[in-house]
Amino acid sequence: MNDVVGSVSRRAFLKTGATLGGGIMAAGMPLSQAIWAAEGKVLTARANQDVDKLDPAFYLGAVNSEVMSCIYSKLIRYKPGSEWSWELEAAEKIEQVDPTHIRFQLKKGIKFSNDYGELTVRDVKFSFERVIRLDSPSNFDWGPLDHVEVEDDYTGVIVFKTPFAPAWTLALPYGAGHIVSEDAVMKAAKDGGPFGMTPTAFSGPYVFADWKPNQHVLLTRNPEWSGPKPGFDEIRILPIGDIKTAERAYQAGDIDFTHISVDSLANFKSNSPADTTIEEKPSIGIVYVGMNIDHPKLKDINVRKAIQWAINVPQILDAAYAGQMEVATGSLARGLIGYRDKALVPPEGDLAKAKESLEKAGVSDFTVTVDCLNQSEFLTIAQVLQAQLSQIGVTAEINAQDSGSFYTIGMESEGDRWKDMQLIVQSFSNVPEPYYFSATYTRDQIGKWNWERFSSERFDELNAKAITIDDPNERAKLYREMQDLMEDSGAYRYLTNGASPFMYRTTRMQPATRPDGVPHYVAFKPV
Amino acid sequence: MLLYLIKRVVLAIAIVVVAVTLLFLMIRALPGDPAAVLLGPRATPEMKAQLHEQMGLDKPFVVQLAAFFGGLLNGDLGFDVFSRRPVADIVFEQLPYTIELILVSILWAVSVAVPLGCYSAMRRNSVIDQVVGVVAVATMAIPSFVVAVYALLIFAVMLGWLPAIGAGNGLWDRLIHLILPSLAIGISWVGYVSRLVRASMLEILGETHIRMARSFGISEWRIVARYALPLAILPTVTILGVGIAWLLSSAVFIEVVFARPGIGALIVNAVNTRNYPIVMGTVLVTTFLIVAATTISDLINGALDPRTREKL
Amino acid sequence: MASLEAIHTEANAGQGHGSFRTVLRQLRKNRLGTLGVVLVLFIAVSAIFAPLIITHDPTRIMVGPRLADPSLNFLLGTDQLGRDTFSRVIMGGRIPLLVAFVSLGSSLAVGLVLGLLAGFGPRWLDNLLLLIFDTIRSFPGIIFALAVIALLGPSLTSVILVIAITSMPIYARVVRTQTEALRSSEYIAAERSMGAGTNRILAVHVLPNVIGPLLILVSMDVPAVIAVEAGLSFLGMGVRPPTPDWGAILNDGYSYIHESVWLVIAGGIPITLATLGFTFLGEALRDIFDPKLRKDL
Repeated sequence: MNDVVGSVSRRAFLKTGATLGGGIMAAGMPLSQAIWAAEGKVLTARANQDVDKLDPAFYLGAVNSEVMSCIYSKLIRYKPGSEWSWELEAAEKIEQVDPTHIRFQLKKGIKFSNDYGELTVRDVKFSFERVIRLDSPSNFDWGPLDHVEVEDDYTGVIVFKTPFAPAWTLALPYGAGHIVSEDAVMKAAKDGGPFGMTPTAFSGPYVFADWKPNQHVLLTRNPEWSGPKPGFDEIRILPIGDIKTAERAYQAGDIDFTHISVDSLANFKSNSPADTTIEEKPSIGIVYVGMNIDHPKLKDINVRKAIQWAINVPQILDAAYAGQMEVATGSLARGLIGYRDKALVPPEGDLAKAKESLEKAGVSDFTVTVDCLNQSEFLTIAQVLQAQLSQIGVTAEINAQDSGSFYTIGMESEGDRWKDMQLIVQSFSNVPEPYYFSATYTRDQIGKWNWERFSSERFDELNAKAITIDDPNERAKLYREMQDLMEDSGAYRYLTNGASPFMYRTTRMQPATRPDGVPHYVAFKPV
Repeated sequence: MLLYLIKRVVLAIAIVVVAVTLLFLMIRALPGDPAAVLLGPRATPEMKAQLHEQMGLDKPFVVQLAAFFGGLLNGDLGFDVFSRRPVADIVFEQLPYTIELILVSILWAVSVAVPLGCYSAMRRNSVIDQVVGVVAVATMAIPSFVVAVYALLIFAVMLGWLPAIGAGNGLWDRLIHLILPSLAIGISWVGYVSRLVRASMLEILGETHIRMARSFGISEWRIVARYALPLAILPTVTILGVGIAWLLSSAVFIEVVFARPGIGALIVNAVNTRNYPIVMGTVLVTTFLIVAATTISDLINGALDPRTREKL
Repeated sequence: MASLEAIHTEANAGQGHGSFRTVLRQLRKNRLGTLGVVLVLFIAVSAIFAPLIITHDPTRIMVGPRLADPSLNFLLGTDQLGRDTFSRVIMGGRIPLLVAFVSLGSSLAVGLVLGLLAGFGPRWLDNLLLLIFDTIRSFPGIIFALAVIALLGPSLTSVILVIAITSMPIYARVVRTQTEALRSSEYIAAERSMGAGTNRILAVHVLPNVIGPLLILVSMDVPAVIAVEAGLSFLGMGVRPPTPDWGAILNDGYSYIHESVWLVIAGGIPITLATLGFTFLGEALRDIFDPKLRKDL
């Protein structure tokens, strides 16, 4: 016996290849230096993806917006708490003069960092007009913005071509409402174009101090900030895509604030980590299965309808969220203007109808790809979807990818993948403004955010009309019809609006979030 | 020896040249526009056009290859479109984390394995020697990622003693964060190195001068520590170099399991995002590391054992 | 590298020992070898007869509650999709064995041909092939595999291809060394003078001499291949869902490590047993066929 053991795997070992010296090579190298300052109040939080654009005109997704809200000022912001409303930020006062005019007065003394001077109406004008001037996927945030009039350094008027109700619920308080320095941006990018991840002047309480892709974002106090001082000296945001990994990271003490998955909620509640509070907030996002209408395999509406009917939503939610999640009736969650009581296709679907529809299309036994995020929740959804589709003879190939790659699949500006996209397990965050959802599915958004390439004249009309109406009930009707139109196209199967539980260490902080649980780091208080 | 040194270094350079050419061919052999392949799925037409020009795709193949080599010599591994940074910056930013992990793993493994190997050699065929032997084979056979997941389950999840993810901040914290990952990588090395030390120790203990020392009544431990160990450990040191490919492979898994930064996490992430410039940059840098390590190891071997030199 | 050749050359000397029965007898005497045989047989039998053993459809979701503990109905519990873990583990054994068989088989064939070419061919070809072998061995293991997968897309075929390419140089080198040694031997010179052609010499004298050591080498590579396949599938770069596979099960377990320990156990134990079994068997076979190597290293 000893002999076998003795001669062991020199062979197995040598097989791996090559020869000496990792140690020697490494000896001269500096080990990773300590990145963090050891002192001060530090907030460490998890983001579900990395930042990739800190340009208000081109921001994608919620995480960029969360970071931007720390480093730039905007006129107003969503008020943290449990009710949706807004509060003043850079504006001293702001009012709707008439349906197409908003007058605002800036607070005095807000400075841009790096000697770019005081924030004036000129910068506001530049920032807002820049969003619509540049061909950005986010330019619908400002809808029918015409221009900003400069009355003096501190007073300006935002002028719309047509009435724009979402100004107060989307444009001003969210991503595209952040104010950048005209001088800095003109210097940093040709014609003031996109500047991506290299902002040169900050107008918020924090500055973007360091970024290691996929590792951390470090925000430190802006020494030139004259407004109310935020609680924490430093904010470290760790991009951890998979929520299960985030939970592990929290338990290991690497982060002090994180959202948690719905299926571990019960587990954490009964067996909560020390000094931890768990809060549950209703999410207003949307998770759905989308289909690329222009793809040859999905061109026939009967094929799309077959897939719609083959999907059993409660079964998916059972698997992905331990049945803790409510079935979505549409893009708009309960509580938002335009919420539908029920979807057109019943949640459980109907296999017989699905097969019938496939027969009508005259196809059988074909293969589709399903794109999804490389995170346990979405992988689970995709796998259940795969199993359900196999029941009608459709083979699904799952194509999981990280958020950076995933959230550009359908964008024509980011390569050719939009052509190959077939099925997608899509997940969008939302703001409390139905226009934010509807504007993404118009015809001019095809190849930008409208990845299913859904195209309906009626939808576009309704979308344009809805923003000019003030009465919430009237608006709601239009948004309900718009969701019906989308569902009727066969290209959408709504799964859930999600839930947004999060936990934090009570020994470290008192968090502040929007009603849907999105963190507002500036308002976090250290303990 | 000088001749051997020259020959060996020339061979190393030849290997690097062939390796780079093979990798270059690999990209080019794929159907479609190489610029599109290199830039990945998120490339815009402008980016492709720009790279087309950079790579000189309209020029003859040899010219392109030469340009590629020229870039490499200048430390240019290409450009990452996504983060808009040079690939070399990104790779060398992550490399120290991996080196740190590998070093710590091998250090603890060797410091456990050497005494173990000595003991096994001195008490050859004792119960302990045999048990150590079986355990050694077993630990070498079990893949590091399985060890890692089990270690994570037991020490981080069930017992909650040690952190589960990340690299930590500050010296102490970083060391704590290294415990489980380096355990997972190092454990198979304990088995391997202890067997190596045992083998060379047995060989040396059988030699005349040692037997003579023994006959003078010098204690066994003293013989081992003073005379045998320095000789026995040399081949071990050179063999350690052979393992760098193995170590790097383990590091890939360990960095993923423990969500540590490093070159392994970098490439897995790059494969997921289909970020080919980063993938290729990582392969190039690690290939170079391995060739360098192999060469140094062979040179040390050659210096110690003239027979090796003739084989080249 | 040099020492490696030395081992291989010595290995060849031990060729030709023992009929099948002698081997069996020696294996029985070798306790770890016996354990290896038992483990390997156990895994092979369960993989071959998997469809008869499984208790549920391994890809069918929601046959039970999700992440259930083991019970009489679900012997190893269920996974996050409510699939029967036991059935997945049993079916999952087929993938590593298939990958090992196909990749090492093709690697062996290619290595044999290239090795003969290098050993019998002109000097320049020999040098060129050696350089290529050395180059392939300088590629960084899993990192190189990931690069190939990045280019070809994640699939079992990519995994097989990578393993075949990276294990080939060792086989080729062994064949080459052996061939070269034989070529210069007086014995072959005599054959040649009697008019034997190259093909005949290769077939009659060289092949039988190299095939034994090659098979031992292959058997010792099996655990590494199983580890690589499971590892790549663990990273999500190997088998595609919903195919059951040990590495993929371990990955599911890793994702849900807080909710259930059973998936981690169910995914990790088979990988461990398989690599151990093949390692013990490979070591034992080498010792039986290679008395000269029955030193301490």
